[in-house]
Amino acid sequence: MSAMRVFGAVMALLPALSFGATDIAVTEAHRAQIEKVRADLAAQVQLQAYDLLDELVFEWSQRPPFGVATPVVMADVTVPVSFGSGLQALIENHLTSLVVQNPRSNVVLAHCPSCTAMIVHSGAKGTIVSRGVDSPEALAQASSQAQARHALFLDFEAEGSALVLRARITALTPDLPIVYAKTLSTTTSNAALLRTGDRLKSAAEARKEYLDILENRSTWTVPIRVGVRSYLAGYESNFAMPPFIWLMGGVEAAFSQARAWLGSFSVGISWAPQSHTAWLAQARISRLLTGTVSSLTHPDLYFFIGGSVMSVYGNSALLFGNEVIGIDEVTRAIMNNPSSVPTTTLGMFQFGLELRVKNRIGVGLYFEALPGITTEQNIGSYINLGFIRFQSFGMEASFCF
Amino acid sequence: MRAAWLTSVVVLAACAYDPAPGLATGQNEARNFECERVGQAEAHDRYPGDIPPVPPRLDTESKVDALLCQARFVPLDARLPRDEAILSRLRSSVGGLTQLASALNPGDVVWHVDAFYPDPMIAMKISVAAKTSLFEHGRVVSDRVPTLAAGDISVISRMPPKQAYAVACKRYFAENVLGAHDVFLGLMIVDPRETQLHAGVCQAGQWRWVQ
Repeated sequence: MSAMRVFGAVMALLPALSFGATDIAVTEAHRAQIEKVRADLAAQVQLQAYDLLDELVFEWSQRPPFGVATPVVMADVTVPVSFGSGLQALIENHLTSLVVQNPRSNVVLAHCPSCTAMIVHSGAKGTIVSRGVDSPEALAQASSQAQARHALFLDFEAEGSALVLRARITALTPDLPIVYAKTLSTTTSNAALLRTGDRLKSAAEARKEYLDILENRSTWTVPIRVGVRSYLAGYESNFAMPPFIWLMGGVEAAFSQARAWLGSFSVGISWAPQSHTAWLAQARISRLLTGTVSSLTHPDLYFFIGGSVMSVYGNSALLFGNEVIGIDEVTRAIMNNPSSVPTTTLGMFQFGLELRVKNRIGVGLYFEALPGITTEQNIGSYINLGFIRFQSFGMEASFCF
Repeated sequence: MRAAWLTSVVVLAACAYDPAPGLATGQNEARNFECERVGQAEAHDRYPGDIPPVPPRLDTESKVDALLCQARFVPLDARLPRDEAILSRLRSSVGGLTQLASALNPGDVVWHVDAFYPDPMIAMKISVAAKTSLFEHGRVVSDRVPTLAAGDISVISRMPPKQAYAVACKRYFAENVLGAHDVFLGLMIVDPRETQLHAGVCQAGQWRWVQ
């Protein structure tokens, strides 16, 4: 601890000495809690810290703190209280990478072990123990070869919901004048969207790119859906309805850029050997549940309702009737008109949920009501609300283009 | 089952972004949110990807607010309460003190800053914040911190705080640690139970409390 810090520590103890209060002990439980916080938040803080460093170096590249390339020693990096040295190392590495990739900043990081090491200096004024950067006279004697004449200090602190970076550069002369200082906060800066180390952007440019991405999202998409509908066997049925596998395609329109409301129209086809050939036309309206604007980065959950018309050709069509189907009924149908294929057309209503990622890939679950089927003799019900029964359960995967 | 099941799904999904304690947000989590209520236009300007713009045909008397909530970086109970109180509003409190001090000493002087706080790490944070703030207000700031001899410190450390800072200031000037063009800004807590930062300025051997 340097001599100046000795005085600081003594002055800091004054309140305690005067009022006889004891400092609050840090308990083991508190330490354990701090470790948990570190693990939970390190990644988040690291990314925000990187954003602030990006903005700092971008400013240096636009308005260099020095007229010519100047050696600067990284004197100190302090992280928010309760965070550890791991974050400190990540910050140092990222800054070094940025400075190397942005030579226009005129900041050249220099290696100066004696600048950050504790050195002991005895002179007429006494013996001083301090870091080299805190005592330039001692540093000059300890290491006359040291190239760096400036020291860079970075201080990060978590102030409520904001991460604040305070950067300063001090000239290593006896008076230690500060030649550059800057405060950057996550509350005032923009997320460094699309920034890379060698192509830094200003906050305004980053914001513009973000807005461009938001505004240039097309309101039209072409979804291709692959799904399956299953039906429960009725309580008097001698046959079980086979699952219908569907391939569907259509168009989908967002009512606004927010994509909170979507409308879609699609047609589909299903085929199973010896069972059926079917086509379907469907209209849907979807409402975003997770927020008011679809996210660019997180999955979105939509609730949808829809109506469909389905035509089925083949033996499966017989099961979509209200009369009990047995061997006799099938034989009679064939015998009466052997050249005809059982056919039925019916309307359906559905509701369900769809989880969609980046408006590109989605998975959905839904229940479907077939109001034309008024009994449970051939097809059972998954949900029976009394006034409406949902006889079909479906799953689908969507790919939007 | 039935309708209640469907209602539950919709309610659960709607609660996912509600910062109030409830189904999706625990009480501890809710306490760690910092929230502010702003108009929809401002909210859209700040978070264009999350808040929709004000509809152009909106009734002028209608007013829609947005509640912007951000989780604190460090949960409330992770740091000592006094440290948390100081650090959470470090920028505003130190900024206000340096503005006051700067206004009291508008001349062409060199500023030296130190902070006096039981935890040296927090003291360093306070000091750095003050130096940076002064520099950003256009003042000449030095990283050099004035020091006194061990004998002075021994005597001063036995004094009550309000007297100690004034005596230390006189000794700075008497020992030529601070010259006529140097100003020392000290930031401290006077009572170990308080969370309010105080500041004093030492110039030409005269100690003056700023706040």
